Amino acid sequence: MNKEWKMKKRVVPLLSFLLFVIAFAGCRKNELFITSFADAKFAKIGVMTGTTGETIANAKFPDAQIKSFDDIMDAVAAIKSGQLDAIVTTSVTALQVSKKNPELVCLNERLKDEDTSIAVKKEDEQLFAAVDRIVGELKANGTLADMNRRWFKKEMTPYEEKQIALPSRGQILKIGVTATREPINFVDKNGRVIGFDGELARIIGARLHRPIEFHNMKFMALIPALQSGKVDLIISGMTATEERKKKVNFTQSYFLNAQVMLVNKPGVAGKKEATEISSAADLKDRRIGVSLGSVHDAYAIKTYPKATILHYKTPSDIVLANMFVLKKNIALNKEVRVSKKTGEIPSFFAGIANSMQSNIVQENRYLLILEGLKTTVIISVLSTFFGTVLGAIVCFMRMSKNAILNVLAKTYISILRGTPVLVFLMLIFYVVFASVNIDPVIVSVIAFGMNFAAYVAEIYRSGIESIDKGQSEAGIAMGFTRVNTFIFIVLPQTVQRILPVYKGEFISLVKMTSIVGYIAVQDLTKASDIIRSRTFDAFFPLIMVAVLYYLISWFLMLFMEYAERLANPKLNRKPITNA
Amino acid sequence: MIKIDHLSKSFGNLEVLKDITVEIKAGEVISIIGPSGTGKSTFLRCINLLDRPSGGSIRIDGVDILDPKADVPKVRQKMNMVFQSFNLFSHLSVMDNLTLGPIKLLGMSKEDAGSKAVDLLKLVGLAEKAESYPDELSGGQKQRVAIARCMAMDPKIILFDEPTSALDPTMVSEVLSVIRRLAKAGMTMAIVTHEMDFARDVSNRVLYMDDGIIYEEGTPEQIFVHPQKEKTKTFINRVRSFTYHIASPDYDLYAMNAEIETFCDKQILAVKQRYNLLLIVEEMLQIYNPFLSKALLDINLAYSEKKESLEVVFESTGEAMNVLDKNLLSDELGLTLIQSVTESIDYQRLNNKNRVTLILKKQ
Repeated sequence: MNKEWKMKKRVVPLLSFLLFVIAFAGCRKNELFITSFADAKFAKIGVMTGTTGETIANAKFPDAQIKSFDDIMDAVAAIKSGQLDAIVTTSVTALQVSKKNPELVCLNERLKDEDTSIAVKKEDEQLFAAVDRIVGELKANGTLADMNRRWFKKEMTPYEEKQIALPSRGQILKIGVTATREPINFVDKNGRVIGFDGELARIIGARLHRPIEFHNMKFMALIPALQSGKVDLIISGMTATEERKKKVNFTQSYFLNAQVMLVNKPGVAGKKEATEISSAADLKDRRIGVSLGSVHDAYAIKTYPKATILHYKTPSDIVLANMFVLKKNIALNKEVRVSKKTGEIPSFFAGIANSMQSNIVQENRYLLILEGLKTTVIISVLSTFFGTVLGAIVCFMRMSKNAILNVLAKTYISILRGTPVLVFLMLIFYVVFASVNIDPVIVSVIAFGMNFAAYVAEIYRSGIESIDKGQSEAGIAMGFTRVNTFIFIVLPQTVQRILPVYKGEFISLVKMTSIVGYIAVQDLTKASDIIRSRTFDAFFPLIMVAVLYYLISWFLMLFMEYAERLANPKLNRKPITNA
Repeated sequence: MIKIDHLSKSFGNLEVLKDITVEIKAGEVISIIGPSGTGKSTFLRCINLLDRPSGGSIRIDGVDILDPKADVPKVRQKMNMVFQSFNLFSHLSVMDNLTLGPIKLLGMSKEDAGSKAVDLLKLVGLAEKAESYPDELSGGQKQRVAIARCMAMDPKIILFDEPTSALDPTMVSEVLSVIRRLAKAGMTMAIVTHEMDFARDVSNRVLYMDDGIIYEEGTPEQIFVHPQKEKTKTFINRVRSFTYHIASPDYDLYAMNAEIETFCDKQILAVKQRYNLLLIVEEMLQIYNPFLSKALLDINLAYSEKKESLEVVFESTGEAMNVLDKNLLSDELGLTLIQSVTESIDYQRLNNKNRVTLILKKQ
């Protein structure tokens, strides 16, 4: 009974969470249709944190509610769910978003034209001169114009990427990018950073005879990374603002961008595209999947005599078939969208199938997810090991009679517990290891491990102190040394007692690792960000990642429960020997 | 075997042990008695250095264990300790409690340690509990396991620190009989205890400690029957008796009954006798009730284990009179009840006090 209850306890929150999300996705809020800047006066406007769009929006729409987002796809998700009325972003990004989301459209008015430039560290004058010269040459010989044509397309035809041969040896040129802004820069199916900036970075690398390496991080983290020497150049559609010029040097502009406003297309719900099924009438000459022998079967045959009715045994087969059709259509480069208006159960599954297709199957994105999953698990497990050992040392110091060690440990614990992990992580990466070339995964392990140590040190201490002193005394009186008494008598009981709390701390560490994207580590959350930046699907990748985190936690929890069983001697009774 | 010279121990400013000199020979069973807070337990804990002495010397087989170079854990292996609160290792089964030390410290093989443990558990009557865990045992069983655990290390001496103080009265005897058995087998032991009769018949020598020194020592006969010094005499008498003062008619009846019951528990009186005792006290107080506003009343209970007799003395101030005089009583119901459970009733006028002595009937 207990087990059953436990299962229920696990399943119920998950189900209710899913229901909540689905319900939320289904009910849209009243939309305000904006056709000019004047309409946006009191609108809810989304901007990207740390971009010029944010500054401009604040200046131009003082009465509007400005909301900052880290990435464009978060803002797109928000506008799609009715949380926003408009998004201020660059024209190139806006073009891309409206290409993938027909219900969103770009206003013709422009907020501001601005120079997009490459940023170089102030002290790095030699590199600056070289890069500036290259940009000048590229502009003069028409390369930039050609790239513009190839990358910034109005239609959905594939990008024509030019292959650039890069040297394999030499000093690596580290490029800072935020590769979530198709088509300026984004991650392709092989995990490479491509796009206008990607190609530009490769051209510069080739011209400088240096191999290049992309560091994919949050936009607001780019300048600190450049200043601290984590990257050599920022090529990430960055606008050369006055404020940024104070911190870094900008080369001459490599393309002219503009801040524009992205809004909901008025009356988009009624608009039909060639292949879009928005009402039941559209189905008359299509292929319709139905469950074999169901009422839908009879209904479909009666209502759509011209349509090809395909019979499937289960709804999941229908979904699979739908995916297959979608794949074919995508090959023909036609977007198939199944409108919610059909409102029947198969359309719900079709929606999921559609999302699975674009978020998982297309461009082998599942590889990105698997890679992210691996990184998340590696960081979680390594930080736990490191934190467990460090926590033991801190706990030893904390319990030591030596006043200096004691104060040190107390200070360590209070600082680590009193600092947000994200801030601490960035401090470690951009300040402590500023001049050291270190893998950000290791930095994450150090930061999370140190944080974990502070919490578990106190857990250990309360565990050790909860074991009555008499038992240690009995051990000592028997002839054990203090160390052996601890090892044979106190430790096994401490482990047994702290495991439940330790487990909780461990799971919260796993979830905490989702912020490593800030220091350019590609974990599970970052993988979903990258996918969302390409598909602009608001919910599916988030739910998928939530489920994956849940599964990781669940598996690790199972492992911990196994450990708990090992630590509890009563569960391992052995028959009497030598009776 | 153990020679202790001028041992002292202070906790901060508090001097618990002042100057203790004593020698324990092989095969001796020494009981250490005395009032609470006189350093009996501290003395025992100083011997195996659980508390480090502030001064003096302890020599075991001629080796000074207070020497900084001494291998203290090694020395402790020779003199294991039984604690008031048992201190079994709660994460280990009874068997593992017994084998942990021999395997890890004496380097015994698992099999040897196991078979030895089984023998010892048979000795303390707990062989069938080998696979139980400490929290599944009663207090008395725990303490017997703790004794077996000590024996498993083959110590030269066992130090008992109030081994029965934390036990229910019903479980005291099972532990004491195990210790008696060890004494018979010739085990050297030092026992801090409040069980006077046990101390009397198990030990060769009794140390009466008071005020941080060994105030008087001698054979059980000398200490319990013919104590020479004043404090020893008072202590020996007090252990067997209990006094309750009543100064007004509004005395706390429930508190008094609770204390009487505690006394009965300590003396391990039979339920019947306890009931009779409470009956007598209640009836007597009923009779005394009219006088309580004017007089002070002391109730003294004394139990003699040897004679197995329980004596109740009522001593009141005021003018001379016997409250149990039939002529003074309004009815004889109370008196009849009292007479039915007493062996003798005696009245005396002593030191300007009225003294009624009742001796309860034997079981």
